[in-house]
Amino acid sequence: MMARMAIKDETAMPFDAWRRIGGLEVALDVDVLFGAYPDRDGPPGTPASVLRVLGAHRIRAAAVASLRAALFDVRSGNDELLALTAPAPTGLPASGLLEAAGSGTAVPGNGESGAAVVPVGTAIVPVGAVDLRDPIGAARELDRLASAGVRAVRLFPDEQGVEAGFPSVRHVARQAARLGLVVLTGGDVRRFWRPFAGLGASVVFLDTHFYHLGDFLVAAADEPGFHTSTRLLNSPDALELAAAEIGADRLLYGSRTPHYEPLVPLLRLATSGLAPVEIAAVAGGNAARLLSGETARKEQP
Amino acid sequence: MIIDVHAHWGPWFFTMDVAEANLATMDRYGIDRAIVSATEAVIYDAPAGNRALAAYLETQDRLLGYVTVNPRRLREAEEDLRAYLPGGRFVGVKIHTDYTGSPVASPQLRDALTLVAEAGCPALVHTWGASVLDLARVCQDIPGLRVIAGHMGADGYRHAIEAANACDRLYLEPCWSHAPAGRIAEVVAAVDPARLLFGTDATLIDPSSAFGAVAAAGLSAETAERVAWRNAAALFTI
Repeated sequence: MMARMAIKDETAMPFDAWRRIGGLEVALDVDVLFGAYPDRDGPPGTPASVLRVLGAHRIRAAAVASLRAALFDVRSGNDELLALTAPAPTGLPASGLLEAAGSGTAVPGNGESGAAVVPVGTAIVPVGAVDLRDPIGAARELDRLASAGVRAVRLFPDEQGVEAGFPSVRHVARQAARLGLVVLTGGDVRRFWRPFAGLGASVVFLDTHFYHLGDFLVAAADEPGFHTSTRLLNSPDALELAAAEIGADRLLYGSRTPHYEPLVPLLRLATSGLAPVEIAAVAGGNAARLLSGETARKEQP
Repeated sequence: MIIDVHAHWGPWFFTMDVAEANLATMDRYGIDRAIVSATEAVIYDAPAGNRALAAYLETQDRLLGYVTVNPRRLREAEEDLRAYLPGGRFVGVKIHTDYTGSPVASPQLRDALTLVAEAGCPALVHTWGASVLDLARVCQDIPGLRVIAGHMGADGYRHAIEAANACDRLYLEPCWSHAPAGRIAEVVAAVDPARLLFGTDATLIDPSSAFGAVAAAGLSAETAERVAWRNAAALFTI
Protein backbone atom coordinates (compact mmCIF):
# COMPACT_ATOMS: atom_id res chain seq x y z
CA MET A 1 0.00 0.00 0.00
CA MET A 2 1.35 3.39 -0.93
CA ALA A 3 1.12 6.36 1.36
CA ARG A 4 -1.60 8.87 0.56
CA MET A 5 -1.22 12.49 1.50
CA ALA A 6 -3.44 15.49 1.10
CA ILE A 7 -1.93 17.64 -1.64
CA LYS A 8 -2.50 21.36 -1.37
CA ASP A 9 -2.91 22.86 -4.81
CA GLU A 10 -1.59 26.31 -3.99
CA THR A 11 -1.56 29.03 -6.60
CA ALA A 12 1.54 30.79 -5.25
CA MET A 13 4.78 30.19 -7.14
CA PRO A 14 6.55 27.40 -5.27
CA PHE A 15 10.05 28.74 -5.93
CA ASP A 16 9.66 32.36 -4.93
CA ALA A 17 13.16 33.09 -3.64
CA TRP A 18 12.70 36.84 -3.32
CA ARG A 19 9.85 36.46 -0.89
CA ARG A 20 12.27 34.64 1.39
CA ILE A 21 15.12 37.06 0.77
CA GLY A 22 12.94 39.99 1.76
CA GLY A 23 14.69 43.32 1.83
CA LEU A 24 18.23 41.99 2.08
CA GLU A 25 20.76 43.76 -0.13
CA VAL A 26 24.43 43.00 -0.62
CA ALA A 27 26.60 46.03 0.08
CA LEU A 28 29.74 44.35 -1.25
CA ASP A 29 30.16 41.00 -3.00
CA VAL A 30 33.70 39.71 -2.57
CA ASP A 31 33.73 37.26 -5.51
CA VAL A 32 32.94 38.63 -8.96
CA LEU A 33 34.74 38.13 -12.26
CA PHE A 34 34.89 39.98 -15.54
CA GLY A 35 35.67 37.78 -18.51
CA ALA A 36 34.98 34.27 -19.74
CA TYR A 37 36.52 30.84 -19.31
CA PRO A 38 37.59 29.64 -22.76
CA ASP A 39 37.22 26.01 -21.67
CA ARG A 40 33.60 26.42 -20.58
CA ASP A 41 30.31 27.31 -22.22
CA GLY A 42 29.52 29.82 -19.50
CA PRO A 43 28.56 33.47 -19.87
CA PRO A 44 30.79 35.97 -21.69
CA GLY A 45 31.31 38.02 -18.57
CA THR A 46 31.33 41.43 -20.20
CA PRO A 47 31.36 44.20 -17.62
CA ALA A 48 27.93 45.44 -18.61
CA SER A 49 26.36 41.98 -18.47
CA VAL A 50 27.97 41.19 -15.13
CA LEU A 51 26.83 44.45 -13.60
CA ARG A 52 23.33 43.82 -14.88
CA VAL A 53 23.24 40.49 -13.05
CA LEU A 54 24.58 42.09 -9.90
CA GLY A 55 22.02 44.87 -10.02
CA ALA A 56 19.21 42.41 -10.54
CA HIS A 57 20.27 40.69 -7.33
CA ARG A 58 20.54 43.92 -5.33
CA ILE A 59 24.32 43.62 -5.14
CA ARG A 60 25.37 47.23 -4.76
CA ALA A 61 29.13 46.82 -5.01
CA ALA A 62 31.48 44.05 -6.02
CA ALA A 63 35.15 43.18 -5.69
CA VAL A 64 35.94 42.30 -9.29
CA ALA A 65 38.95 40.56 -10.81
CA SER A 66 39.81 39.98 -14.45
CA LEU A 67 39.88 36.53 -16.04
CA ARG A 68 42.01 37.97 -18.82
CA ALA A 69 44.63 38.72 -16.18
CA ALA A 70 44.22 35.33 -14.52
CA LEU A 71 44.24 33.21 -17.63
CA PHE A 72 46.26 35.07 -20.26
CA ASP A 73 48.09 38.30 -19.55
CA VAL A 74 48.32 39.74 -16.07
CA ARG A 75 49.32 43.24 -16.92
CA SER A 76 46.86 43.98 -19.72
CA GLY A 77 44.05 42.28 -17.83
CA ASN A 78 44.66 44.28 -14.69
CA ASP A 79 45.08 47.47 -16.67
CA GLU A 80 41.82 46.84 -18.46
CA LEU A 81 40.06 46.44 -15.13
CA LEU A 82 41.72 49.47 -13.61
CA ALA A 83 40.77 51.55 -16.63
CA LEU A 84 37.15 50.57 -16.10
CA THR A 85 37.33 51.80 -12.54
CA ALA A 86 39.32 54.95 -13.17
CA PRO A 87 37.68 58.15 -12.00
CA ALA A 88 35.38 59.57 -14.66
CA PRO A 89 37.01 62.23 -16.76
CA THR A 90 35.44 65.63 -16.43
CA GLY A 91 32.68 66.22 -18.94
CA LEU A 92 31.81 62.58 -19.63
CA PRO A 93 28.05 62.28 -19.93
CA ALA A 94 26.49 61.03 -16.74
CA SER A 95 24.34 58.54 -18.63
CA GLY A 96 27.46 56.69 -19.66
CA LEU A 97 28.59 56.01 -16.14
CA LEU A 98 27.74 53.91 -13.21
CA GLU A 99 27.61 55.99 -10.10
CA ALA A 100 30.28 55.34 -7.54
CA ALA A 101 29.00 53.92 -4.29
CA GLY A 102 30.60 53.02 -1.02
CA SER A 103 34.22 52.13 -1.51
CA GLY A 104 33.81 51.53 -5.22
CA THR A 105 34.51 53.82 -8.13
CA ALA A 106 32.76 54.84 -11.30
CA VAL A 107 32.50 52.32 -14.12
CA PRO A 108 31.86 53.30 -17.70
CA GLY A 109 29.29 51.18 -19.45
CA ASN A 110 30.39 49.51 -22.64
CA GLY A 111 28.67 49.73 -25.96
CA GLU A 112 27.92 46.02 -26.11
CA SER A 113 24.80 46.11 -24.03
CA GLY A 114 24.38 49.82 -23.49
CA ALA A 115 25.15 51.59 -20.28
CA ALA A 116 21.57 52.72 -19.91
CA VAL A 117 20.45 49.22 -18.92
CA VAL A 118 23.16 48.83 -16.28
CA PRO A 119 21.77 49.63 -12.87
CA VAL A 120 22.97 52.94 -11.57
CA GLY A 121 24.44 52.57 -8.13
CA THR A 122 26.35 49.36 -8.77
CA ALA A 123 29.98 49.98 -7.95
CA ILE A 124 33.06 47.89 -8.43
CA VAL A 125 36.16 47.57 -6.32
CA PRO A 126 39.10 46.50 -8.50
CA VAL A 127 40.96 43.38 -7.44
CA GLY A 128 44.30 42.68 -9.05
CA ALA A 129 45.29 39.28 -10.32
CA VAL A 130 48.70 37.68 -10.55
CA ASP A 131 49.91 34.52 -12.24
CA LEU A 132 51.25 31.95 -9.82
CA ARG A 133 53.03 30.26 -12.72
CA ASP A 134 55.38 33.25 -12.73
CA PRO A 135 56.27 34.12 -9.13
CA ILE A 136 58.90 36.65 -10.14
CA GLY A 137 56.50 38.52 -12.36
CA ALA A 138 53.77 38.13 -9.75
CA ALA A 139 55.85 39.92 -7.13
CA ARG A 140 56.52 42.77 -9.56
CA GLU A 141 52.83 43.00 -10.35
CA LEU A 142 51.93 43.13 -6.67
CA ASP A 143 54.22 46.13 -6.26
CA ARG A 144 52.67 47.80 -9.27
CA LEU A 145 49.13 47.15 -8.10
CA ALA A 146 49.84 48.40 -4.60
CA SER A 147 51.38 51.56 -6.03
CA ALA A 148 48.23 52.07 -8.07
CA GLY A 149 46.14 51.96 -4.91
CA VAL A 150 44.71 48.50 -5.39
CA ARG A 151 43.91 46.97 -2.01
CA ALA A 152 43.31 43.32 -2.89
CA VAL A 153 44.79 40.63 -5.08
CA ARG A 154 43.10 37.49 -6.26
CA LEU A 155 44.80 34.12 -6.76
CA PHE A 156 43.58 31.50 -9.22
CA PRO A 157 45.53 28.37 -8.32
CA ASP A 158 43.06 25.91 -9.82
CA GLU A 159 42.81 27.76 -13.10
CA GLN A 160 46.60 28.11 -13.25
CA GLY A 161 47.33 24.52 -12.23
CA VAL A 162 49.26 25.56 -9.13
CA GLU A 163 49.30 23.52 -5.94
CA ALA A 164 49.43 24.94 -2.42
CA GLY A 165 52.88 23.54 -1.80
CA PHE A 166 54.52 25.23 -4.75
CA PRO A 167 57.13 27.82 -3.71
CA SER A 168 55.33 30.38 -5.84
CA VAL A 169 52.30 30.47 -3.55
CA ARG A 170 54.33 31.08 -0.40
CA HIS A 171 56.35 33.75 -2.19
CA VAL A 172 53.25 35.61 -3.37
CA ALA A 173 51.66 35.23 0.08
CA ARG A 174 54.68 36.85 1.71
CA GLN A 175 54.80 39.70 -0.78
CA ALA A 176 51.10 40.40 -0.45
CA ALA A 177 51.35 40.43 3.33
CA ARG A 178 54.34 42.77 3.14
CA LEU A 179 52.35 45.19 1.02
CA GLY A 180 49.24 44.93 3.20
CA LEU A 181 47.17 43.55 0.32
CA VAL A 182 44.12 41.48 1.09
CA VAL A 183 44.36 38.14 -0.70
CA LEU A 184 41.27 36.56 -2.21
CA THR A 185 42.19 33.01 -3.10
CA GLY A 186 40.59 30.03 -4.70
CA GLY A 187 41.71 26.49 -4.02
CA ASP A 188 40.97 23.86 -1.43
CA VAL A 189 41.15 25.58 1.95
CA ARG A 190 42.52 22.40 3.55
CA ARG A 191 45.69 22.94 1.55
CA PHE A 192 45.78 26.64 0.78
CA TRP A 193 45.64 27.80 4.40
CA ARG A 194 49.22 26.72 4.89
CA PRO A 195 51.16 29.14 2.63
CA PHE A 196 49.39 32.06 4.36
CA ALA A 197 49.94 30.85 7.91
CA GLY A 198 52.15 32.85 10.25
CA LEU A 199 52.33 35.94 8.04
CA GLY A 200 49.63 38.04 9.64
CA ALA A 201 47.97 37.97 6.24
CA SER A 202 44.41 39.03 5.47
CA VAL A 203 42.97 36.26 3.35
CA VAL A 204 39.53 35.38 2.05
CA PHE A 205 39.19 31.76 1.01
CA LEU A 206 36.74 31.81 -1.86
CA ASP A 207 36.18 28.08 -2.30
CA THR A 208 35.55 26.93 1.28
CA HIS A 209 33.06 24.09 0.97
CA PHE A 210 30.98 23.11 3.97
CA TYR A 211 32.55 19.66 3.77
CA HIS A 212 35.80 21.37 4.80
CA LEU A 213 34.37 23.87 7.24
CA GLY A 214 35.98 22.19 10.22
CA ASP A 215 39.42 22.54 8.68
CA PHE A 216 38.82 26.20 7.96
CA LEU A 217 37.60 26.84 11.49
CA VAL A 218 40.61 25.29 13.19
CA ALA A 219 42.98 27.12 10.85
CA ALA A 220 41.15 30.42 11.30
CA ALA A 221 41.20 30.06 15.07
CA ASP A 222 44.97 30.59 14.91
CA GLU A 223 44.90 33.17 12.14
CA PRO A 224 42.77 36.24 12.82
CA GLY A 225 43.24 37.40 9.24
CA PHE A 226 41.57 34.31 7.76
CA HIS A 227 38.09 34.83 6.35
CA THR A 228 35.84 32.81 4.10
CA SER A 229 33.33 33.37 1.37
CA THR A 230 29.88 31.98 2.09
CA ARG A 231 29.32 30.76 -1.48
CA LEU A 232 29.68 27.06 -0.69
CA LEU A 233 28.81 27.16 3.01
CA ASN A 234 25.39 25.86 2.15
CA SER A 235 24.71 23.14 4.65
CA PRO A 236 21.81 23.82 7.02
CA ASP A 237 24.06 25.08 9.81
CA ALA A 238 27.43 26.09 8.30
CA LEU A 239 26.94 29.85 8.62
CA GLU A 240 25.56 29.57 12.11
CA LEU A 241 28.31 27.19 13.20
CA ALA A 242 31.07 29.37 11.76
CA ALA A 243 29.62 32.48 13.39
CA ALA A 244 29.47 30.72 16.75
CA GLU A 245 33.01 29.38 16.48
CA ILE A 246 34.98 32.33 15.09
CA GLY A 247 32.48 35.16 14.68
CA ALA A 248 30.32 36.36 11.82
CA ASP A 249 32.91 39.03 11.06
CA ARG A 250 34.96 36.33 9.30
CA LEU A 251 32.20 35.53 6.81
CA LEU A 252 31.83 37.40 3.53
CA TYR A 253 29.13 37.05 0.93
CA GLY A 254 30.65 35.91 -2.35
CA SER A 255 28.67 34.96 -5.45
CA ARG A 256 31.16 34.31 -8.27
CA THR A 257 28.90 36.16 -10.62
CA PRO A 258 28.47 35.58 -13.53
CA HIS A 259 29.60 31.97 -13.41
CA TYR A 260 27.53 30.92 -10.42
CA GLU A 261 23.98 31.76 -9.40
CA PRO A 262 24.17 34.69 -6.96
CA LEU A 263 20.70 33.84 -5.72
CA VAL A 264 21.86 30.73 -3.88
CA PRO A 265 24.21 32.28 -1.28
CA LEU A 266 21.86 35.24 -1.01
CA LEU A 267 18.98 32.95 -0.14
CA ARG A 268 21.09 30.97 2.30
CA LEU A 269 22.18 34.14 4.09
CA ALA A 270 18.69 35.62 4.18
CA THR A 271 17.21 32.48 5.72
CA SER A 272 20.09 31.91 8.13
CA GLY A 273 19.85 31.95 11.86
CA LEU A 274 22.30 34.83 12.14
CA ALA A 275 21.21 38.04 13.85
CA PRO A 276 20.20 40.88 11.51
CA VAL A 277 23.34 42.83 12.32
CA GLU A 278 25.43 39.77 11.48
CA ILE A 279 23.59 39.24 8.20
CA ALA A 280 24.28 42.85 7.24
CA ALA A 281 27.93 42.38 8.09
CA VAL A 282 28.22 39.23 5.99
CA ALA A 283 26.38 40.95 3.17
CA GLY A 284 29.06 43.56 2.79
CA GLY A 285 30.06 45.24 6.01
CA ASN A 286 32.84 42.78 6.67
CA ALA A 287 34.16 43.01 3.12
CA ALA A 288 34.07 46.80 3.15
CA ARG A 289 35.98 46.85 6.41
CA LEU A 290 38.56 44.37 5.16
CA LEU A 291 39.12 46.08 1.83
CA SER A 292 39.37 49.48 3.44
CA GLY A 293 42.10 48.28 5.75
CA GLU A 294 40.12 48.65 8.95
CA THR A 295 40.41 45.95 11.55
CA ALA A 296 37.40 44.29 13.07
CA ARG A 297 36.17 45.94 16.23
CA LYS A 298 36.04 43.28 18.89
CA GLU A 299 34.34 43.78 22.19
CA GLN A 300 36.79 43.44 25.01
CA PRO A 301 35.96 40.80 27.61
CA MET B 1 3.28 22.80 -2.34
CA ILE B 2 6.77 21.33 -2.64
CA ILE B 3 7.84 17.70 -2.37
CA ASP B 4 11.54 17.08 -1.83
CA VAL B 5 12.38 13.70 -3.38
CA HIS B 6 16.00 13.65 -2.23
CA ALA B 7 16.39 14.14 1.49
CA HIS B 8 18.04 12.40 4.42
CA TRP B 9 17.38 11.80 8.07
CA GLY B 10 20.14 11.31 10.60
CA PRO B 11 23.61 12.60 11.45
CA TRP B 12 26.51 13.29 9.10
CA PHE B 13 30.22 12.88 9.74
CA PHE B 14 31.14 16.42 8.65
CA THR B 15 31.41 19.44 10.95
CA MET B 16 27.67 19.89 11.26
CA ASP B 17 24.85 19.10 13.65
CA VAL B 18 21.69 18.53 11.65
CA ALA B 19 20.32 15.21 12.82
CA GLU B 20 17.21 16.88 14.20
CA ALA B 21 16.96 19.60 11.56
CA ASN B 22 14.62 18.07 8.97
CA LEU B 23 11.37 19.86 9.69
CA ALA B 24 12.89 23.24 10.53
CA THR B 25 14.93 23.10 7.36
CA MET B 26 11.88 22.23 5.29
CA ASP B 27 9.90 25.03 6.87
CA ARG B 28 12.44 27.66 5.85
CA TYR B 29 11.69 26.97 2.20
CA GLY B 30 8.06 25.95 2.26
CA ILE B 31 8.79 22.29 1.64
CA ASP B 32 5.72 20.36 2.68
CA ARG B 33 6.86 16.78 2.26
CA ALA B 34 10.23 15.10 1.95
CA ILE B 35 11.21 11.57 1.04
CA VAL B 36 14.18 10.68 3.19
CA SER B 37 16.75 7.93 3.50
CA ALA B 38 18.52 7.21 6.76
CA THR B 39 22.10 8.39 6.73
CA GLU B 40 23.12 5.32 8.68
CA ALA B 41 21.63 3.15 5.96
CA VAL B 42 23.30 5.10 3.15
CA ILE B 43 26.72 5.36 4.70
CA TYR B 44 27.20 2.25 6.79
CA ASP B 45 24.54 -0.31 7.65
CA ALA B 46 21.44 -0.44 5.46
CA PRO B 47 19.25 -2.73 7.59
CA ALA B 48 20.04 -0.87 10.82
CA GLY B 49 19.37 2.50 9.22
CA ASN B 50 16.16 1.35 7.58
CA ARG B 51 14.96 -0.03 10.88
CA ALA B 52 15.71 3.22 12.71
CA LEU B 53 14.00 5.26 10.01
CA ALA B 54 10.91 3.06 10.13
CA ALA B 55 10.57 3.79 13.82
CA TYR B 56 11.09 7.51 13.31
CA LEU B 57 8.54 7.75 10.52
CA GLU B 58 5.92 6.52 12.97
CA THR B 59 6.38 9.73 14.97
CA GLN B 60 5.47 12.33 12.34
CA ASP B 61 3.67 12.65 9.03
CA ARG B 62 5.63 15.05 6.82
CA LEU B 63 8.36 12.60 5.93
CA LEU B 64 8.16 9.49 3.81
CA GLY B 65 10.95 6.97 3.51
CA TYR B 66 13.27 5.36 1.05
CA VAL B 67 14.33 1.82 1.79
CA THR B 68 18.09 2.03 1.32
CA VAL B 69 19.57 -0.88 -0.59
CA ASN B 70 23.22 -1.88 -0.54
CA PRO B 71 23.76 -3.67 -3.86
CA ARG B 72 26.38 -5.84 -2.15
CA ARG B 73 23.80 -7.12 0.34
CA LEU B 74 20.86 -8.14 -1.80
CA ARG B 75 19.54 -10.77 0.59
CA GLU B 76 19.19 -8.11 3.27
CA ALA B 77 17.69 -5.78 0.70
CA GLU B 78 15.00 -8.29 -0.21
CA GLU B 79 14.09 -8.66 3.45
CA ASP B 80 13.88 -4.90 3.94
CA LEU B 81 11.78 -4.36 0.84
CA ARG B 82 9.34 -7.00 2.05
CA ALA B 83 9.30 -5.51 5.54
CA TYR B 84 8.86 -1.83 4.78
CA LEU B 85 7.26 -1.18 1.40
CA PRO B 86 3.84 -2.65 2.24
CA GLY B 87 3.38 -0.36 5.22
CA GLY B 88 3.00 2.74 3.09
CA ARG B 89 5.50 4.92 4.90
CA PHE B 90 8.31 3.88 2.54
CA VAL B 91 7.61 4.76 -1.07
CA GLY B 92 10.86 4.04 -2.92
CA VAL B 93 14.41 2.76 -2.83
CA LYS B 94 17.62 4.70 -2.34
CA ILE B 95 20.93 3.44 -3.70
CA HIS B 96 24.18 5.31 -3.19
CA THR B 97 26.75 4.11 -5.66
CA ASP B 98 29.85 5.53 -3.93
CA TYR B 99 29.27 4.50 -0.32
CA THR B 100 28.53 0.95 -1.44
CA GLY B 101 31.32 0.72 -3.98
CA SER B 102 28.74 -0.08 -6.63
CA PRO B 103 29.15 2.03 -9.77
CA VAL B 104 26.07 2.45 -11.91
CA ALA B 105 27.54 0.12 -14.52
CA SER B 106 28.42 -2.61 -12.02
CA PRO B 107 26.71 -6.02 -12.07
CA GLN B 108 25.54 -5.68 -8.47
CA LEU B 109 23.85 -2.36 -9.19
CA ARG B 110 22.03 -3.94 -12.12
CA ASP B 111 20.89 -6.81 -9.90
CA ALA B 112 19.70 -4.36 -7.26
CA LEU B 113 17.70 -2.36 -9.75
CA THR B 114 16.15 -5.55 -11.09
CA LEU B 115 15.00 -6.24 -7.56
CA VAL B 116 13.57 -2.73 -7.31
CA ALA B 117 11.68 -3.12 -10.57
CA GLU B 118 10.12 -6.31 -9.23
CA ALA B 119 9.09 -4.44 -6.10
CA GLY B 120 7.35 -1.88 -8.30
CA CYS B 121 8.63 1.32 -6.71
CA PRO B 122 10.94 4.06 -8.00
CA ALA B 123 14.63 4.12 -7.13
CA LEU B 124 16.72 7.19 -6.39
CA VAL B 125 20.26 6.47 -7.58
CA HIS B 126 23.27 8.70 -6.93
CA THR B 127 24.75 9.89 -10.23
CA TRP B 128 27.78 12.03 -10.98
CA GLY B 129 29.31 13.04 -14.27
CA ALA B 130 28.76 10.62 -17.12
CA SER B 131 27.43 7.84 -14.85
CA VAL B 132 23.93 9.13 -15.53
CA LEU B 133 24.30 7.71 -19.05
CA ASP B 134 25.04 4.29 -17.55
CA LEU B 135 21.85 4.65 -15.53
CA ALA B 136 19.84 5.29 -18.68
CA ARG B 137 21.27 2.13 -20.25
CA VAL B 138 20.45 0.01 -17.21
CA CYS B 139 16.97 1.49 -17.04
CA GLN B 140 16.35 0.67 -20.69
CA ASP B 141 17.42 -2.92 -20.05
CA ILE B 142 15.16 -3.52 -17.04
CA PRO B 143 11.48 -3.53 -17.97
CA GLY B 144 9.25 -1.41 -15.79
CA LEU B 145 12.07 0.16 -13.80
CA ARG B 146 11.62 3.83 -12.88
CA VAL B 147 14.74 5.61 -11.71
CA ILE B 148 15.57 9.07 -10.47
CA ALA B 149 19.05 10.27 -11.37
CA GLY B 150 20.09 11.86 -8.09
CA HIS B 151 21.94 15.17 -8.62
CA MET B 152 21.17 14.73 -12.34
CA GLY B 153 24.85 14.01 -12.80
CA ALA B 154 25.96 17.16 -10.90
CA ASP B 155 28.59 18.61 -13.23
CA GLY B 156 27.45 16.07 -15.80
CA TYR B 157 24.03 17.66 -16.26
CA ARG B 158 24.42 17.70 -20.02
CA HIS B 159 24.82 13.93 -19.86
CA ALA B 160 21.63 13.93 -17.79
CA ILE B 161 19.78 15.63 -20.63
CA GLU B 162 20.94 12.89 -22.96
CA ALA B 163 20.02 10.21 -20.43
CA ALA B 164 16.53 11.56 -19.84
CA ASN B 165 15.89 11.80 -23.55
CA ALA B 166 17.12 8.24 -24.05
CA CYS B 167 14.88 6.58 -21.46
CA ASP B 168 11.34 7.74 -20.66
CA ARG B 169 11.42 6.03 -17.26
CA LEU B 170 14.36 8.09 -16.06
CA TYR B 171 13.67 11.20 -13.96
CA LEU B 172 16.02 14.00 -12.94
CA GLU B 173 16.40 15.80 -9.65
CA PRO B 174 18.86 18.68 -9.40
CA CYS B 175 20.44 18.93 -5.95
CA TRP B 176 24.11 19.86 -5.73
CA SER B 177 26.12 22.07 -3.41
CA HIS B 178 27.39 23.99 -6.43
CA ALA B 179 25.17 26.21 -8.56
CA PRO B 180 26.77 26.97 -11.92
CA ALA B 181 24.86 29.68 -13.74
CA GLY B 182 22.20 28.41 -16.09
CA ARG B 183 22.42 24.70 -15.21
CA ILE B 184 18.76 24.24 -14.34
CA ALA B 185 17.45 26.37 -17.18
CA GLU B 186 19.46 24.36 -19.70
CA VAL B 187 18.08 21.06 -18.46
CA VAL B 188 14.51 22.31 -18.26
CA ALA B 189 14.71 23.57 -21.82
CA ALA B 190 15.83 20.19 -23.13
CA VAL B 191 13.92 17.56 -21.13
CA ASP B 192 10.28 16.46 -21.00
CA PRO B 193 8.83 18.52 -18.10
CA ALA B 194 7.02 15.45 -16.81
CA ARG B 195 10.35 13.99 -15.75
CA LEU B 196 11.73 16.84 -13.69
CA LEU B 197 11.61 16.56 -9.93
CA PHE B 198 12.75 18.69 -7.02
CA GLY B 199 15.33 17.44 -4.54
CA THR B 200 17.61 19.15 -2.04
CA ASP B 201 19.92 16.59 -0.40
CA ALA B 202 18.86 18.07 2.94
CA THR B 203 19.94 17.79 5.64
CA LEU B 204 23.39 17.41 4.11
CA ILE B 205 22.87 20.41 1.82
CA ASP B 206 20.65 23.31 2.76
CA PRO B 207 17.62 23.56 0.46
CA SER B 208 18.75 27.06 -0.53
CA SER B 209 21.10 25.47 -3.04
CA ALA B 210 18.49 23.62 -5.10
CA PHE B 211 15.70 26.08 -4.32
CA GLY B 212 17.78 29.05 -5.38
CA ALA B 213 19.08 27.36 -8.50
CA VAL B 214 15.57 26.39 -9.58
CA ALA B 215 14.26 29.86 -8.76
CA ALA B 216 17.03 31.39 -10.85
CA ALA B 217 15.89 29.35 -13.84
CA GLY B 218 12.70 31.39 -14.05
CA LEU B 219 10.37 28.46 -14.75
CA SER B 220 6.89 29.02 -16.07
CA ALA B 221 4.15 28.59 -13.48
CA GLU B 222 3.10 25.29 -15.03
CA THR B 223 6.62 23.86 -15.12
CA ALA B 224 7.37 25.10 -11.63
CA GLU B 225 4.33 23.30 -10.30
CA ARG B 226 5.33 20.10 -12.08
CA VAL B 227 8.84 20.30 -10.67
CA ALA B 228 7.68 21.29 -7.22
CA TRP B 229 5.25 18.45 -6.64
CA ARG B 230 3.00 17.25 -9.43
CA ASN B 231 5.58 14.96 -11.02
CA ALA B 232 6.65 13.58 -7.66
CA ALA B 233 3.08 12.96 -6.58
CA ALA B 234 2.44 11.01 -9.77
CA LEU B 235 5.69 9.04 -9.65
CA PHE B 236 5.32 7.98 -6.02
CA THR B 237 1.52 7.81 -6.06
CA ILE B 238 1.27 10.11 -3.07
